[in-house]
Amino acid sequence: MKENVVIIGGGVAGMEAAKQLLTLGYNPVIVERSAQLGGHVAGWHKLFPDMSSAQELVKGLRRDIAEANVFLETRLNSLQRTKSVYTVELNNGVRLTSRAVLIASGFELFDASKKEEYGYGVYDHVITNADLEAWMNGREDNRIPAQPQSIGFVHCVGSRDLKAGNSQCSKVCCTTAIKQAIELKERFPEAEVYCFYMDLRLFGKKYEDFYINAQRDFGVHFIRGRVSEVGETIDGRLQIKAEDTLLGKPLKVQLDLLVLMSGMVCNPIAKQLADKIRLQIDSDGFLKSRDNIAAIGESNQPGIFYAGACTGTKTVPETLAEARAAALSIHTYLMNQ
Amino acid sequence: MIDRIPSGFHPFVIPFLAGMSFVFLYCILGVVKIIYELSWAERRKLFLSLINPKYIYKNLRDIFLDCLIHVKLWKRNKLLGYMHSSIAFGWFMLIVLGHLEVFLFVPGRINLFYYPIFFNYFVAEDAVTLRGSLLFFLMDFFLVIVLSGIILAMIKRISSRLFGMRRTTRPSVMNNIGLYALWAIFPLRWLAESFTAHISGGSFLTVPANYLFREFLGNDLNMLPTWWAYSIALGVFMFVLPFSRYMHIPAEMLLIPMRNAGLKIRSARKGFARVQVLSCPNCGVCIDACPMTVNRGNVKDCTVYLTRQIRRNNERRIDEISDKCLMCGKCEALCQVGVEGPNLRLMQRATRSYRISPDFRDIDTEPMIAAAQGSKVLYFAGCMSRLTPVIPESVLSVMKKAGVDCTWMDRDDALCCGRPLFTAGRIEEAKQLVAKNEEIIIRSGADTLLVSCPICYKMFLENYHLPGIRVVNYIPYMYDLVKQGRLTLRKSDVCYVYHDPCELGRGCGIYDEPRKLLGRAAAIAEADKNKVESICCGGSLGSLSLNFQQRERMTKAALDNLYTSRADAIATACPLCKATFARYSDRPVHDMAEIIDART
Repeated sequence: MKENVVIIGGGVAGMEAAKQLLTLGYNPVIVERSAQLGGHVAGWHKLFPDMSSAQELVKGLRRDIAEANVFLETRLNSLQRTKSVYTVELNNGVRLTSRAVLIASGFELFDASKKEEYGYGVYDHVITNADLEAWMNGREDNRIPAQPQSIGFVHCVGSRDLKAGNSQCSKVCCTTAIKQAIELKERFPEAEVYCFYMDLRLFGKKYEDFYINAQRDFGVHFIRGRVSEVGETIDGRLQIKAEDTLLGKPLKVQLDLLVLMSGMVCNPIAKQLADKIRLQIDSDGFLKSRDNIAAIGESNQPGIFYAGACTGTKTVPETLAEARAAALSIHTYLMNQ
Repeated sequence: MIDRIPSGFHPFVIPFLAGMSFVFLYCILGVVKIIYELSWAERRKLFLSLINPKYIYKNLRDIFLDCLIHVKLWKRNKLLGYMHSSIAFGWFMLIVLGHLEVFLFVPGRINLFYYPIFFNYFVAEDAVTLRGSLLFFLMDFFLVIVLSGIILAMIKRISSRLFGMRRTTRPSVMNNIGLYALWAIFPLRWLAESFTAHISGGSFLTVPANYLFREFLGNDLNMLPTWWAYSIALGVFMFVLPFSRYMHIPAEMLLIPMRNAGLKIRSARKGFARVQVLSCPNCGVCIDACPMTVNRGNVKDCTVYLTRQIRRNNERRIDEISDKCLMCGKCEALCQVGVEGPNLRLMQRATRSYRISPDFRDIDTEPMIAAAQGSKVLYFAGCMSRLTPVIPESVLSVMKKAGVDCTWMDRDDALCCGRPLFTAGRIEEAKQLVAKNEEIIIRSGADTLLVSCPICYKMFLENYHLPGIRVVNYIPYMYDLVKQGRLTLRKSDVCYVYHDPCELGRGCGIYDEPRKLLGRAAAIAEADKNKVESICCGGSLGSLSLNFQQRERMTKAALDNLYTSRADAIATACPLCKATFARYSDRPVHDMAEIIDART
């Protein structure tokens, strides 16, 4: 009989790890609290830098793990260790034992309404990056006007923001904003698109090309300066005040749509797990790896492994690579026991 | 009762006499200096109040109730109240009764300064006076009262927690000398009076002790040394007094008439400020009160240490302490003496000079005046409401529902009310903004200025001159609308805890209307510390040097206090409190305007 490996979280990290564990001859068991696999990525439209389809990625992974055991809409009741074996109790009454547990609980989107000054939930035409992806995937959203004249993006919403309690950079939002700006420009060529940033952190493969495209081919305006306040004019348009720190001038812009690039914070489930089996939380609020360079996928507890955004903000390729690495680490760990 | 010592003098009175003369001289010179430091107008105000019967009565009453009986302390903590009033009032009565004894029995000695203090040494009982007569009884009675207070003080020094104080001040060297001298005075007095009780007479405390001592010792050789010791203890206390916290005893007697006369702190160190600093009894109530002292941090930045550093002229620490404060006003509200810690800091901040100062005098107000015109009610949301756009949206929506025609003064271009500059001590710059805003408000043609931000509201109330214009906070205004029937509230099942913002509660004294208004829209629970004891959210603009990590700890502590109510949600009436709490709260935080808007 094949050995169980419990994977907490059925996002791309959990799925990729399950895929590798199947190949290595294990019986991965995915515990996912929502009704479908794929996590955040399943809600997205296209992925940078090649505008590949997020849906195709998720679909492919789902195909690959068809043989794995998956519990959807399921939560953990308890997680306990006796010697080298973990006992997992699910809320559907199932009890599993496993010598290794992979935590792939991922991130949670920063609640943009906490930055009330940006007006999310207050004004009619303020949405988040995730709302925009969902809309591009076909979800109705009456906050998005039929023919917007001007559109703004606010970078770093809840990222690198001590006042919001998050000092970390969410890594993907700069590029996501550029991607979404291009996508909106393609749909609404007449609209003016403004990106308000404090830094552009375009570290990944082809990200810089993306940025050049956005400026050169699509005429997206990049303004260095944070938005200070968002208001509504009498005719229902948004009016934002910002400072162009390169020109050293305050500016006012009227917009029909404002997209907030909400950052990543650690999924609160990870913290609940940490309480149960005494895992450490790092200073950025994410789970603490045994070593942030040499052993990012390992915890301070034997048999508990990490993959993906539960240990920090990650891009999709980073998450997938970590999931593969975690599968191999688990394999090595179980072989040596 | 007859004079026992024909000369009426003994050298043991010298330590007391020297100490007493020193204190007297010091205080008289101090008063002269302080009066000299006052401005002409302040002096006039003070002197006029001192000859006004109404003020004379008020001053005497306040001095009696505050300095002797410690009424405020009784209200707050019975044990501490008893401890202080037993020592202060008991001692006072011993002095009064001592004088009465001299006056009745040896009237020829009334001009001798020390006679009432050492009465029992100088007199002998004769057949005329009665043993254990009323005066003797009272003297012993008040001595017992004082001794019980001293015992409590000793216990408090060992464990302040028994007295409900989590933390207390670390005494300085001078305070310790004064403390031990004070503790020694009354047991020594008891011993001294006991040793002479068979000569001078006594009552229930001294007479039995006298029998006991003579039984054991068999002679009178201890009589003089104890009287010497008693006098030396008094002398030491008097000499240390001006350099220790016990200076608050004479200083408070000057503080009360000055405060009653309406004097304000106008300088960082001089005049009224000096009296305030000297009046601080170093009790340390402000340490537990201060929101910055969460997790044992910042204890040395409380008002008690500010006054201590001002007395030591430690400029570096005075600056640090003055800058750190959140200016929430809780130390002042809970201070038994009423030391105005925030104002002392404000004046210290105002002593700075800046190399670059903004100049607001050239701002063109014409477009703002045009935008403000049109209604009788002018609404000012304030800069902080830019962080919480829900608040002005809700206020305007409520006004619309109540049929109040209202113009939003700072909807687009607007000026700051000036309070952040003011609390930073940049009072001249703040005044420039005040002048500009006054022009806009007066020329808008409105008769009511509606303000939702309590920070601005306090500024408008205290620092603006707006003749004929009613400045009103949105909470009482909305409550009036509800009472008039112009707004109908549907009560919800949600249970709210109301957080008193510093500026609205302690700052403007508005505690009841928010609760009454909220009570019509939802269920209310109270937090452990509320109203005057409400804990600052930590977001205050008052502090110039606290960092985010320190503020975060304060916010979490303030939230923990609100959680004690077990309410489902938090209600507040300040944009800054809302924005600060929303960052860390585990339950929703709503402004009063939002709640009222949702329930109408």
